[in-house]
Amino acid sequence: MEILLAFLIGGLYAAGFYLVLGRSIGKLIVGLVLLGQAANLLIFTAGGLTRAHPPIVPEGALEAQPPFADPIPQALILTAIVIGFGVLAFALVLVDRTFQRVGTYDTDDMTSTDA
Amino acid sequence: MTGLFTAVFSGFLLAAVAPWVHRLAPRRSGWILASLPLALTAYFVLHIGPIAEGAAFRAGFSWIPFLGIRLSFLLDGLSLLFCLLITGIGTLVVVYSGGYLKGHPELGRFHAYLLMFMASMLGVVLSDNAIALFVFWELTSLSSFFLIGFDHERAAARAAALQALLVTGLGGLALMAGLLLMGRIYGSLELSRMMAEGSGPLQSNPLFLPILILVLAGAFTKSAQFPFHIWLPNAMEAPAPVSAYLHAATMVKAGVYLVARVNPLFAGSPFWFWMLVGAGGVTMLLGACLAMVETDLKRILAYSTVSALGTLTLLLGLDTIRATEAALAFLLVHGLYKGALFLTAGAVDHGAGSRNVAELGGLRRAMPITALAAGLAALSMAGIPPFFGFVGKETIYQAVLGSSAARGLVTSAALLANLLFVAIGLIVGIRPFIGALKETPQHPHEAPVDLWIGPLLLGAIGLAAGLVPGAVGHDFVLRAASVVMDRTTETHFSLWHGWNTAVALSLVTFAAGLTVFAARHPLSRGFARVSGALAPVGPARGYFRILDGTIGMARGVTRVFQSGYLNRYLLFVLFTTVGLAGYTLFFRARLSWPEEVLHVRFYEAGLVAVMLVAALTAIRSRARLVTVIALGVVGYGVSLLFLFFGAPDLAMTQILVETLTVILFVLIFYRLPQVIVLSRSAGMRLLDASIALACGGLMTALVLTAVRVQWRPSIASYFSEHSLSLAKGHNIVNVILVDFRGFDTLGEITVLSAAGIGVYGLLKLRSGRGEAP
Amino acid sequence: MGIDSLPAALSVIRPELILAVTALVCLALDLLYKPADKMPCWAVAFFGSLAALASTIASWGTEQEAFSQLVRMDNLSNFFAVIFLMVGLITLCLSDSYVQREGLPAGEYYTLLLISMTGMVFMAQANDLMTVYLGIEIMSIPVYVLVAMMSKSPKSPEAGLKYLLLGGFASAILLFGIALLYGAVGTTQLADILRQAPGALKASDPLFLAGVGLLLVGMGFKVSLVPFHMWTPDAYEGAPTSVTAFMSVAVKAAGFSVLIRVIVLSLSPMAVDWSQIFWWLAVLSMVLGNVVALVQENIKRMLAYSSIAHAGYVLVALTTGTETGIHAALIYLFIYALMNLGAFGVVIAVSREGDQGVEIRDYTGMARKRPLYALAMAVFMFSLAGVPPTAGFIGKFYAFSAAVKAGYVWLAVIGVLMSAVSAYFYLRVLVVMYMKEPEAGAEYSAGPWGAPIGAGVSVSLWVCALSILFLGIWPGWLSHFAQQALQGLTSLL
Repeated sequence: MEILLAFLIGGLYAAGFYLVLGRSIGKLIVGLVLLGQAANLLIFTAGGLTRAHPPIVPEGALEAQPPFADPIPQALILTAIVIGFGVLAFALVLVDRTFQRVGTYDTDDMTSTDA
Repeated sequence: MTGLFTAVFSGFLLAAVAPWVHRLAPRRSGWILASLPLALTAYFVLHIGPIAEGAAFRAGFSWIPFLGIRLSFLLDGLSLLFCLLITGIGTLVVVYSGGYLKGHPELGRFHAYLLMFMASMLGVVLSDNAIALFVFWELTSLSSFFLIGFDHERAAARAAALQALLVTGLGGLALMAGLLLMGRIYGSLELSRMMAEGSGPLQSNPLFLPILILVLAGAFTKSAQFPFHIWLPNAMEAPAPVSAYLHAATMVKAGVYLVARVNPLFAGSPFWFWMLVGAGGVTMLLGACLAMVETDLKRILAYSTVSALGTLTLLLGLDTIRATEAALAFLLVHGLYKGALFLTAGAVDHGAGSRNVAELGGLRRAMPITALAAGLAALSMAGIPPFFGFVGKETIYQAVLGSSAARGLVTSAALLANLLFVAIGLIVGIRPFIGALKETPQHPHEAPVDLWIGPLLLGAIGLAAGLVPGAVGHDFVLRAASVVMDRTTETHFSLWHGWNTAVALSLVTFAAGLTVFAARHPLSRGFARVSGALAPVGPARGYFRILDGTIGMARGVTRVFQSGYLNRYLLFVLFTTVGLAGYTLFFRARLSWPEEVLHVRFYEAGLVAVMLVAALTAIRSRARLVTVIALGVVGYGVSLLFLFFGAPDLAMTQILVETLTVILFVLIFYRLPQVIVLSRSAGMRLLDASIALACGGLMTALVLTAVRVQWRPSIASYFSEHSLSLAKGHNIVNVILVDFRGFDTLGEITVLSAAGIGVYGLLKLRSGRGEAP
Repeated sequence: MGIDSLPAALSVIRPELILAVTALVCLALDLLYKPADKMPCWAVAFFGSLAALASTIASWGTEQEAFSQLVRMDNLSNFFAVIFLMVGLITLCLSDSYVQREGLPAGEYYTLLLISMTGMVFMAQANDLMTVYLGIEIMSIPVYVLVAMMSKSPKSPEAGLKYLLLGGFASAILLFGIALLYGAVGTTQLADILRQAPGALKASDPLFLAGVGLLLVGMGFKVSLVPFHMWTPDAYEGAPTSVTAFMSVAVKAAGFSVLIRVIVLSLSPMAVDWSQIFWWLAVLSMVLGNVVALVQENIKRMLAYSSIAHAGYVLVALTTGTETGIHAALIYLFIYALMNLGAFGVVIAVSREGDQGVEIRDYTGMARKRPLYALAMAVFMFSLAGVPPTAGFIGKFYAFSAAVKAGYVWLAVIGVLMSAVSAYFYLRVLVVMYMKEPEAGAEYSAGPWGAPIGAGVSVSLWVCALSILFLGIWPGWLSHFAQQALQGLTSLL
């Protein structure tokens, strides 16, 4: 399963990178979302896969029974998901605003700030 | 011994208030401000006696204790000679400026710069700490920059100011590097401590040659040695008193001072000898020849200054007692006559309105006092007895005749330069005043007292010193020479040593000099032709070539790296990141295929396949909605994976966020045009695709390596143990987020609210006045 | 480790709390007041920051950890917090009239500025990679928004977008780095990482090494080191100038605070590896920053490239990995903050509505029209060029001598050479100001004592200029505080 996931992560990364390198700002943001998801999966996989043992202390026990999923990467991912969403929301509004303002969604046209 | 501090810093203080002094007494400000340099001259004169007896005065306090930098001053024979030149000529120049720039709206500022220069220059020659020396050194370059650019209406003045600053400033930085390295070798930045250790540690160090080059780079740029001499003639854009003071008498001698000061550490090395003798010799001849080409009084004087600086460097390089004495005597001679000649050139310009030697003649009637001052200085320059210039020239001949290497070559070079000096002296100091009166742009009239008092005094001192050469030599030259040579010297200076080779050479010099003066016009044309032919490869052109080259390169770099294309920027970052990670993976670690811990279940394989197809769809699709749906499929797939592998919380959050993301995308994309794909050439797409695939592959490799690292007891077990007991929670992830790391959650909330405010702010702007295109 | 008593924990993050509460008050005020009168907002922000600064200074000398060792207050964090809050206060002074003139939404502006400062203080106090990540995000997101806020310039949203996308990318990379590091050593705590690092290094653990590499990339972004600098000129030019001033010093200093804590101090066992990377990043930043700045015509862009070069100088000091090096970096950052803020202050003072008048040619003949501004700008330019006796010289001197002391002679030589190159473009401004006549019809916004844009700007200019001269002549006390900031930490080296 790890190998399969490794290839899935590689594939998502490749797709994300391809979109990021393109010209359309909309597609670029889609690419960034894909990259973010790939990153979360990477952290998740790198933290060690365990099937169906959430890191929950069972009723009556004093600590979780190993093997349970590593809670630290999960906490990290959770933070990343939430922050990623905040950034995405702002990015989308900004794209909209840039489009209204500059009249383009082509990143190649967005070079007015350069000397 | 706070006197030395006061001596240095009083100049800075007075500079700060000079514009106000000028505002209070606009007509007398020169005389008033000159009282400080005059007082300082008196102060240093009081030290002549004790120092001639061998005393030295010190002062110092801690400046940057962490780095062991002290602000320490040392007054010995060498510094005293320079201090007297700086304050003495400074007094006369300040007085002169008041008259020369009378009525100029910026005269107050001019005085401030001039006094700041004087204080910095005193700092250079008095500092015993290498860093303090560097600081004052750069301050002199700065004040020179402002003074050259003082008449800034002309583009030439601005370019000259910048050129002088760039050349000398760069040299100063090289000097600092050299001094720092020396400080590292000696373990102290105090020059006197280095002297006490002797030259051994430095000369045996493998860094000796680089240090030597760095230090000389500083000295040569400041003292306008070939090929750095180009800035000095251009610096003549400055007003006459500046040329007299900075670019003849004092600042350009700072390099010579430095060479003299550190001579005990470097002397004896063949590099030191040949660099100084070589650069000095070339500069001496080149300067004298180029002076013959010029017709502008100040430019002639500038090139002859270049030549004189070359002579000084050459003499110091010879490293014999006689040569050092000759150098110091000539330094004094040159300061006196060159300062005077520049000042009279300014007076002539002021009185007759021209500085072109071809247009000037017969001014002695209209400007008798100026003529007298110029004549005295010119005769000293030509080396006529009984002027001090004669003594200087005699000692130079004795020195070169005593050279240990290349005696013939050095002697002929000195002879050639000196005979040209005779001719130049006559051209600038005598010729404009004799013969028939020529038509000048302005009706010639005598300069006011401010303008003639300075040059007249300097000329008179040149004559007086020649009458008592023994006393001058004993009080000034010998003590300074003993500092440079690091041993005492007892030679006697006199006008007449009896018939010897030096006297014979003097006679030849004078006779040949007169001939050259008579034949100056054809000679000047000849030199002009040669220098014109050499100009394309000359350093003056080289300076601009380097400048233009740098700017051109900068433009090129900008085009390549700052194209403004977002995707190219991302590409750069990607390359670096992936390169860094890839390098570690392939070169620092062994890659291997991991063991499968978990077997693949069929629905998981199916899910992965669906997600990959969706990702591909997101790439290929040209329609907005399809892209968003494909993105959503990937996102929900990720949350399913979280669910399968023991992370239900993540799965739930992911589903929630994914839903919101899709809604947001739909909302925004509906404001964009229908088709959101922009066409690109097949080649570009192929390039992008291969880069993307390579990066994806690398990430796969990274994951494969990562999963080899197996479960180990870590901080996770801590949380597991304490989740229930401390935080009363069963779900460890929740406990981590809420209790152990409630702080993180707080942070997330802050981040989200910041983004929220941003969204709100932008939306508000759009609905409000921001709409205007 | 444990769940700490709340009051003790809160006392550690007191400056952050003050700032966060002030931000909330600001936001509330913005909703309550009519848009015409934004003064209370400014005053609240100013006094809130002042209170945070006072609280930081009051806790100088205390050392405490809180929130399961996620945050740690010590003199190093306090030193950086003082820089951030000082910069924040000066930025507020620069902002007041500028915000009104450019019609920026004042409430949001001050709120975001305060939130960003909160994030910076978190970064300085970070004792765990999670805190690092969070701090960076809390700092960055408000800045992305602020950059895009300039409604009168079409460049602003575009700049914000570029900054956001590249910055978001960098945050993702940083997050990977953290994940990989965790995968390698099983902890995100800096102290534990320091303990585990030798073992991981011995095993040549690829995850560990790659993780550190990725962390470096993420931080390189925040301090804009070449080749992670691309966003800098665009963002600096497009952003409101007051925000540019803030970003160019505070964001950079915050990035370095993390770099020092995480890489230099906590990963000191692998100094051999990262100092090589630092060496190259420093050289690239100094060379590219200074060379490209030579041809800039827009002063904001020129200062952007110069800020890249200055990040390189700081990195020269850090490359050594020695106490002297960190000490020099602290001093440099403090001095850099003052001189760069000052320079941008002049840019604000000289510019006109809609960010007009930010080309270097707009400075022609300024010495005649606005002699005092020209004088202040001269001080800042000299200091940035590292000319004695300004503080900029002291900073460079500390940095380069630390490098020489640690045996990085070539690095110091390249640094000195590049400073020489930089002199050219800084002095160009001077030449334009002092040695050219004002062009006929050249516009300067007018006002009392040549202060077109409010007393706040003038006051901050003079504070900066005088401090630079003061520090240039008496650098001893700054050196003393920087030394105290490192007490107890350098035993890790």
